[in-house]
Amino acid sequence: MGDKTLDIENVYTAYDKADVLEGVSLSVRPGRITCLLGSNGVGKTTLIRSILGLTAPREGRITFGGRDITGMSTHRVIATGIACIPEGRKVFPKLTVTENLRIGAYQVKAEAAIRERMNEAYEIFPRLAERRSQLAGTLSGGEQAMLSIGRGLMSSPDLLLIDEPSLGLSPLFVKENFNVIQRINERGVTVFLVEQNVRQTLAISHYGYVLGKGRVVAEGEPDTLTDNEEVNQAYFG
Amino acid sequence: MDAALLSQYVVNGLMQGMMYALVAVGFTLFFGVLNVIQFSHGDVLMVGSFVGYSAIMGVIAVGIDNPYIALAAALIAAVTLVGLLGAVIARLFVLPLRSSPPLNTLLITLMLGTVLRESVRLFFPHGSHPKRFPPLLPTDSIAIGGFDLRVDSVMLLIAGLLVIVAIHLVINRTRLGLAIRAVAQDEETAMTMGINFRFVVLVTFVIGSAVAAFAGIMNGLYYNEINFNSGLLLGVIGFAAAIVGGLGSIYGAILGGFLFAALQTVGAVAMPFDSAYKDVFAFTVVIALMAWRPTGLIAERVSERV
Ligand SMILES: Nc1ncnc2c1ncn2[C@@H]1O[C@H](COP(=O)(O)OP(=O)(O)OP(=O)(O)O)[C@@H](O)[C@H]1O
Ligand SMILES: [Mg+2]
Repeated sequence: MGDKTLDIENVYTAYDKADVLEGVSLSVRPGRITCLLGSNGVGKTTLIRSILGLTAPREGRITFGGRDITGMSTHRVIATGIACIPEGRKVFPKLTVTENLRIGAYQVKAEAAIRERMNEAYEIFPRLAERRSQLAGTLSGGEQAMLSIGRGLMSSPDLLLIDEPSLGLSPLFVKENFNVIQRINERGVTVFLVEQNVRQTLAISHYGYVLGKGRVVAEGEPDTLTDNEEVNQAYFG
Repeated sequence: MDAALLSQYVVNGLMQGMMYALVAVGFTLFFGVLNVIQFSHGDVLMVGSFVGYSAIMGVIAVGIDNPYIALAAALIAAVTLVGLLGAVIARLFVLPLRSSPPLNTLLITLMLGTVLRESVRLFFPHGSHPKRFPPLLPTDSIAIGGFDLRVDSVMLLIAGLLVIVAIHLVINRTRLGLAIRAVAQDEETAMTMGINFRFVVLVTFVIGSAVAAFAGIMNGLYYNEINFNSGLLLGVIGFAAAIVGGLGSIYGAILGGFLFAALQTVGAVAMPFDSAYKDVFAFTVVIALMAWRPTGLIAERVSERV
């Protein structure tokens, strides 16, 4: 289970020329839910991409459990015990629900473990069990969100990166989603949660960071961030 | 038309359809994982038939005259060496061009095809002459209700069918196939799931090229002749078949291959005075089909909405 710290030190990441991240440093401590708040386009997804090696940082260092993972190939990063529930869910539309889950466990060799976790996912989301042989592209938005979460758990990761899980969901689903994330964490998975939904995110987090334009502009325990009027004004309107 | 002639047309059409389908599957697999057109694919097939031919000559040269040993040698040599060639093409010419426009890949592989073709012509002993591919399969016929079926044709068709079934099983029933389909749908998310993208691309090129090598041997065994420039037309037809079927869809590619052969056969039956007309007819219909269904006959079943 999660006993490794993710450390991000002074990371600069650019897509073409202009830096999107300009010296981001933060820590995701084991066993906790750490959140990253910030408004549209400040670089939250870019930070996730930097961790995963999808867009390698041009400067700075990212370590996980003391191991340097900066700019590693994505499949190697995943092998260190990291999984991701990407922004926009990104289920594979032309794979079935079962196949989508199976791919979440792509690096898991033991068939028994895969089956056990698949059953767990179906227990958490009975709706998915009913649709197990349906193509994921035919699911509703809420069901795709469930599938994306279930898929993220299939590798039994130490650290789960979650990028805006409530985006585009109905309020009821959003609430359920936050409950699920909390339950995942209670089972020992470290969570790094990227969100714009400030109040509900802080309600389940142990620690939070606020990203401004490419920089961390505030950090602290949830209550200090909630009370931080400046942060509220500047980033959440 | 009498039954014997009809059966000849049917068997010939099926045989060509099988070869086109096998070539088209490669185009569609490559396009699936990388969104590229590997235009030298037809010439890769031709290299396969020359590797097979060389292996057969080698086996004969050491004094073994069992045709099945020669055939096995041809298949093993062609499938492994050409599979390797596919991986090398992917590694050196396709993967490095990933961040440049897809047109560049098309152009570079088009030139590579010319290099392969001209290399065989220049460096293979008497490469510019057609080579007689020895008939290794039994050539006797079996009569089935008025039809005369040649045993070698039946064996080739069954072998081709088995290859198609094998591709189907690999793509749909194995972990590798799952990875190939995932990469085809969304390469970044596939990587995020822990799939080694470059490895999957290389293996896909090995599979597609090995299948082309198989088709190359089939081609040699059926026509008993191979030629350094035979890959060009086969490549264009395979590409057209893949497009008509809906590039990226394996079953579409297979359908497209048989459809093209069917069109050629109809063309040949309707215009028996000159065999060149059958290609004109088939390509004309394909062009019309492409204008009518620009995304191919097998339409996307689900939207790619996220
Ligand atoms: N693939 C890309 N190529 C080029 N620029 C990009 C790319 N992805 C994001 N950007 C740019 O980088 C900046 C940060 O984007 P990013 O997606 O990281 O923001 P975000 O904080 O996740 O926003 P949101 O809340 O809308 O998801 C934006 O200006 C965006 O236009
Ligand atoms: Mg984002």
